[in-house]
Amino acid sequence: MRISVDGKRLEVDGEKTILEICKGLGIKIPTLCYHKSLFPEARCRLCLVDLDGKLVTACSTKAGEGSEIITDSKRVLKARRRNMELMNPGANISELSDDFEAREIYEQVGLDNERFKPIKNYLPELGAALVRDNNKCINCGRCVQVCEKIQAISAVDFASRAHNEHVTPYNEKHLSEIACIKCGQCLINCPVGAISERSHLKEVIKALENPKKHVVAQTAPSIRAALGELFDMEAGTLVTGKMVTALRKCGFDKVFDVDLGADITIMEESAELLKRIKKGGPFPMITTCCPSWILMMEHFYPELIPNMSTCKSPHEMLGMLIKTYYAEKAKVNPKDIVVVSIMPCVAKKFESTRPELNTEVDYVLTTRELGRLIKQKKIDFVNLEEQDFDPTLGIASGAGDIFGNAGGVMEAALRTGYEVATGKRLKSVEFGSLRNFEGIKTGSIKLGDKTIRYACANGGANIRKLLKDKDKYHFMEMMVCPGGCVGGGGQPIYFDEDVLKLRSKALYEQDSKKELRRSHENPIVKEIYKKYLGKPLSRKAERLLHTRYRKRDGF
Amino acid sequence: MKEKILLNILHEVQDREGYLSEKSLKEISKKYDIPISKLYSVATFYTMLRIKEQGKYVIELCGSPSCVLNKSREIEKFLEKELKIEIGETSKDGLFSVYKTSCIGCCDEAPAMLINGEPYTKLTVKRVKEILGELRKNANT
Amino acid sequence: MQILRETKLEGLKLARKIGRERVLEVLSEKRLIGRGGAGFSVAKKWEIALGVKAKERYVICNADEGEPGTFKDKFILKNNSETMIEGLLIAAYVLGAKRCFIYLRGEYDYLRGELEEKVREVLKESKMKVSIEIVRGAGAYICGEETAILQSMMGNRGNAMYKPPRPTVSGLWGKPTVLNNVETLTCVPQALVYEDWNPDYRLFSISGDVSHPGVYEWELGIKMSTILEVVKPKEKLKAMSFGCFGGIMPVKKNLSISQDTLCKNDCQHGAFSIIFIGERHNVVDICLSIAKFYTYESCGKCTPCREGTIRLVNLLKKIKNRDADEGDVKLLKEFAEHIQETSLCGLGQSCGNHILTSLKHFRKDYREYIK
Repeated sequence: MRISVDGKRLEVDGEKTILEICKGLGIKIPTLCYHKSLFPEARCRLCLVDLDGKLVTACSTKAGEGSEIITDSKRVLKARRRNMELMNPGANISELSDDFEAREIYEQVGLDNERFKPIKNYLPELGAALVRDNNKCINCGRCVQVCEKIQAISAVDFASRAHNEHVTPYNEKHLSEIACIKCGQCLINCPVGAISERSHLKEVIKALENPKKHVVAQTAPSIRAALGELFDMEAGTLVTGKMVTALRKCGFDKVFDVDLGADITIMEESAELLKRIKKGGPFPMITTCCPSWILMMEHFYPELIPNMSTCKSPHEMLGMLIKTYYAEKAKVNPKDIVVVSIMPCVAKKFESTRPELNTEVDYVLTTRELGRLIKQKKIDFVNLEEQDFDPTLGIASGAGDIFGNAGGVMEAALRTGYEVATGKRLKSVEFGSLRNFEGIKTGSIKLGDKTIRYACANGGANIRKLLKDKDKYHFMEMMVCPGGCVGGGGQPIYFDEDVLKLRSKALYEQDSKKELRRSHENPIVKEIYKKYLGKPLSRKAERLLHTRYRKRDGF
Repeated sequence: MKEKILLNILHEVQDREGYLSEKSLKEISKKYDIPISKLYSVATFYTMLRIKEQGKYVIELCGSPSCVLNKSREIEKFLEKELKIEIGETSKDGLFSVYKTSCIGCCDEAPAMLINGEPYTKLTVKRVKEILGELRKNANT
Repeated sequence: MQILRETKLEGLKLARKIGRERVLEVLSEKRLIGRGGAGFSVAKKWEIALGVKAKERYVICNADEGEPGTFKDKFILKNNSETMIEGLLIAAYVLGAKRCFIYLRGEYDYLRGELEEKVREVLKESKMKVSIEIVRGAGAYICGEETAILQSMMGNRGNAMYKPPRPTVSGLWGKPTVLNNVETLTCVPQALVYEDWNPDYRLFSISGDVSHPGVYEWELGIKMSTILEVVKPKEKLKAMSFGCFGGIMPVKKNLSISQDTLCKNDCQHGAFSIIFIGERHNVVDICLSIAKFYTYESCGKCTPCREGTIRLVNLLKKIKNRDADEGDVKLLKEFAEHIQETSLCGLGQSCGNHILTSLKHFRKDYREYIK
């Protein structure tokens, strides 16, 4: 199809929207409600262009043969500015942090007038994981769509109409009162920060400034693959060493690696699986690293409680070992230790309030909060030297590293499960079928005369889909965020799914570069079991590293 | 299976129970496998669906230009004074809830209002006073 | 009145006799166009839906008229619903639809009992194997818009959607769907049965400061002086508003009501609703009442309409309270134009008409209020 864009004649694919055509031409059209993986509702109306003399939204309109598109006329630019002016005068987009898309769009559109007063008057909601402030909301609807279509939770929707239209859980309840799984995908997709994490930064800074406190940081696998983005480094840059240095510069007394917690999780979880194989069930056994999945199960699939592994999540395991094993070893009073987990996740903030966990994690910071802390301390992150984790709890196998990827927990478990069960060594520790970017991945492995079928799902909707077939499998990994923890609700905001692929690739690279790729061969793991826990599923291990679940209301 | 019309389902429940309570929304959600957030979303979109308990008599006063030209504002003020409430509220005795609507299509008999869905037209303050009196009497017997 | 002529299922009988192709030809020859305002040929609309390959097609009678000042569909529902139902059945026959709907606005729910009765009677007598379900609207003006009505029927919020796809191609539950309003469907059997059926008759809804408001049937092009003789102004008239969408203009006796003449005054006849406004009123007050309608009925989806209509109301309030200056009036005009230019559906695209036309024709009324 032939059209002209800003006076240039070209041949284009008639099935593409004007927005897609312009993107291909390198013409940047501002939009706040468009998202590649969602249905274009054309709500914000910032992507206006002139199509044969009429203003249309580029995100939802296809051009016709011979049509003329103008993207930068005075009329177009003015109309965009007027909509920006109307959008939400109370939102103070100009004061928004760089994290959010709106900041850039705001500058691009260039608001020239502010003639209206805010009309929104909502009470912000402060939850254990998420903070929601409708006064900042611009009704783009992405959170609503993500929650319904990608996550299949439908915790929020629009209510009322006209200027009273607003996003809310049913009956104006708080997210904390309803079946919200706190994955934070709404936050990741919010262009204006109307949804944000419940920050623990103030408390952490206070602890860091208290000389009596021994403040320990532990970082989740996927932080190192994403933190660099907050300092304008390319997506997928591994910043493990810089991250450790930065944490020390921020004042943390020790920096430990949750990847080691992941190795321990594998020891416990694979032992649990082998025990169930011996006992004959219950199958499928399902992983429990993802706190949002646990919430999803408790709200919507409580009948699966017996299927769940009883393992705590890796940072909860390591947190416990920090205040027990490490405290003993380093001769520090556990009461003086403050454990700060750096997580790609907002649900982890909620997780540490679960009474069932007897948690030893004091605070959870998201990747974004850590970025903020580093910026506050005026640390030149990009040019930092690279340091190693503190060795006491700082050596991890490649199996632990890949926990951040959807399918990674399964792969790590299979490496150890196979070798422990069969006594044989895997020729290749890489499971190709678990490394693609599909929402559902399945496979099988022979353990002696038994064939173990396994399946992984990431994204809430995929989890629901896979669960319909759950009886086919012995072992399942569930990750609520698309792509797994690399796409977690606590990660730097991303606009392009390719970013997730790059983050994921970085973690696989970290694994492949290591000699040590099996959790059960990790010398620290061996030492902890030898000197402290005995063996996997020992009474002590059960007491410290395992937990239980409860049924929650489905609404 | 034939697709069900959600609006009719919601109306039926409201006809029976007076409004769409949280309990009813939960029941509908389970029965038809519709997320409750969506039910709430739909229910609050339509002004004639209510999510709060209503007075015995729901008054919907027409606010169209035709009614305004025929002094509907006087009726509005009278209702607010007489029932000691503002538009959108329910009187203390639980008898009357008063709303304003865009247009009930009685422009040739303005000003007009609906009471529990039935039209009352060519209103004057005197006539509204009588209507309220009758309804109060009916409510007590 | 032509619209009250009964057809007693003769139209349906005739349609079955001559076949669907011929029905479309006749409707086209008789120049039957939709009465919802867009003026699209009925035969053409049905043909498009018929041309889409599909297992199922739906027909919906749009009985959700709700524009303030409009009550002609209610008049038909009360006085000749059998003929309307017959029109629906003819559409179902032509389109091969098995499931038909009447989307009845919530404000007319008191007509539902009788309508259901009539539906049962007509269906029984017609012996057609189709169902006609009444969908109970619930007080959302926007659901008169063809995409919003579909959303509403599919259990969603009544948000307007952009087109394509058009409902005739992909409508209710993704199937080709024909939407016609009450007046249009009533005309269908009448146009088929009566040789002398006149396509230029329109129903007018007359209200406001006149002694004989009501529904009238006049031919397109009728002179205002004729209308005034019939409806009898109560006082000297200052202005007339064509519903809410059509705009406000002075009452000119020699004006004839047609698309062209009204366009010259920046107005549109829309659904032929005329609200007459007497001399004692300030037009700004009426504008405020119309603006409130928009800000109450906007679905909330598009930024300009959701956030803009309430600003227009606030500006008009400010003017009415004698707090505004010329700058505010300029702002009012700028945003009335802006919202119209950048909104998605008909509601947003015409929500400033009353302001823009009144600013043109009744600047004096604004000046009265300006500091």
